[in-house]
Amino acid sequence: MSYNWNWSIFFEPSLDGTHTYLTTLLWGAGWTLATAFAAFAIALSLGSVVGVARTAPQAWVRALSTCFVEVLRNVPLLVQMFLWYFVLPELLPDELGTWLKQLPDAQFYTAVVCLGCYHAARMAEVVRAGLQSLPGGQRMAGQALGLNLAQTYRYVLLPMAYRIVVPAITSEFLSCTKNTSVALAIGLMELTGSARAMQENSFQIFEAFSAATTLYLALNLIIIFAMRRVERLAVVPGYGTPQKAA
Amino acid sequence: MITLRDVCKAYGQFQVLSHCSTHVAKGEVVVVCGPSGSGKSTLIKTVNGLEPVNAGEIIIDGVSVTARGTNLSTLRARVGMVFQHFELFPHLSIIQNLMLAQVKVLKRTRPQAHKKGMALLDRVGLVAQAHKFPGQLSGGQQQRVAIARALAMDPVALLFDEPTSALDPEMINEVLDVMIELAREGMTMMVVTHEMGFARKVANRVIFMDRGEIVEDAEKNAFFDQPRSERAQQFLSKILVH
Repeated sequence: MSYNWNWSIFFEPSLDGTHTYLTTLLWGAGWTLATAFAAFAIALSLGSVVGVARTAPQAWVRALSTCFVEVLRNVPLLVQMFLWYFVLPELLPDELGTWLKQLPDAQFYTAVVCLGCYHAARMAEVVRAGLQSLPGGQRMAGQALGLNLAQTYRYVLLPMAYRIVVPAITSEFLSCTKNTSVALAIGLMELTGSARAMQENSFQIFEAFSAATTLYLALNLIIIFAMRRVERLAVVPGYGTPQKAA
Repeated sequence: MITLRDVCKAYGQFQVLSHCSTHVAKGEVVVVCGPSGSGKSTLIKTVNGLEPVNAGEIIIDGVSVTARGTNLSTLRARVGMVFQHFELFPHLSIIQNLMLAQVKVLKRTRPQAHKKGMALLDRVGLVAQAHKFPGQLSGGQQQRVAIARALAMDPVALLFDEPTSALDPEMINEVLDVMIELAREGMTMMVVTHEMGFARKVANRVIFMDRGEIVEDAEKNAFFDQPRSERAQQFLSKILVH
């Protein structure tokens, strides 16, 4: 293989003429970070609502939430990204559609909403799994004390359900971070997008993607360590078997 | 205090409760017994509306459980319930278990709820465990906490659903002692249990159920000395041999 290694490429000016390639890559990482966190915030809150709805006593609430989950987790993320970005503005009334298209950073908002909904569907299943792992008597005990349904979820069921599924939430968070790279398809210059731009302009593909790999790894390792802390905080004394994670 | 009239409940074709009627007067202790699958647990859960019924009427302290539009949460807050598997909230400390519904349902201030909770823990002999978690307590201790949690709501009546059947034998008495004391203080109680010693000691009446029906509803001594139905005789002969 004949390849001209050039690690100093990072300090050469990129195509925009003012910033180095390193700076544009770091900007890309910034967009990735912003997209991942904003999308995951949506996923966690919307997913919790839908997950609770999946276990609600009312049949129509369960049916509605099941629809949400099955539609959003069964259509490929890339297709969803195109639907949100290219199709949705056309389906809306003209004015609204135009406003959407002219929104500054429209790619970013679209990516956040799209990823947020996709991971909300998956998170809903995680939350449902947590809720359904609790003994049925817990709900009865809450209600027998006079707590209404909402209070029973808020103070009795969800606090335990979340604790049980922390490891699964960590996985979702990591997936969400990695899935931000799909937003490259609608033109968001996140980390993968900037690495590709650097490769196309400098032909230094190994350097560009080594940097991207390192940055993704670093980002996810930070998330893993943060979530480990959460896991430790979530331990309930005397509940379950104490686990020793490596 | 508690009145059941013609209560019926079915899961599809399977009749769990058929035409159950009884009355528990204020201060009365009624023990409900019967073979497993006889519907006694279901019956006691219909009393505070945890199990909906298909027909019939249930009235607690003048309020109908079965009528549409009854605020079940308000009603349940006035009727304590103790479960077979304790059902303490594992993520809350013992004292927090006792405070939660006081604060959220009865709107007591935290200091008030804390004071009441500690007094009740003292009563069941568990003050020292106040800041432990349910998983760190023995079964008998957990069930005593569950009774204290029910009492914290100042209930007009207490329902017990097999409170000692998930306990190791050596822990049964510590729970029964608390229940006997409550009975002697005049608490209205409906107790599903196989503890016939408890029934003999404090029950006013015994209800015997089989296949979803109340077969016998008799004064305690009459039930133990001369059960009228054959099914009750058989049941007693089986559980009283040892």
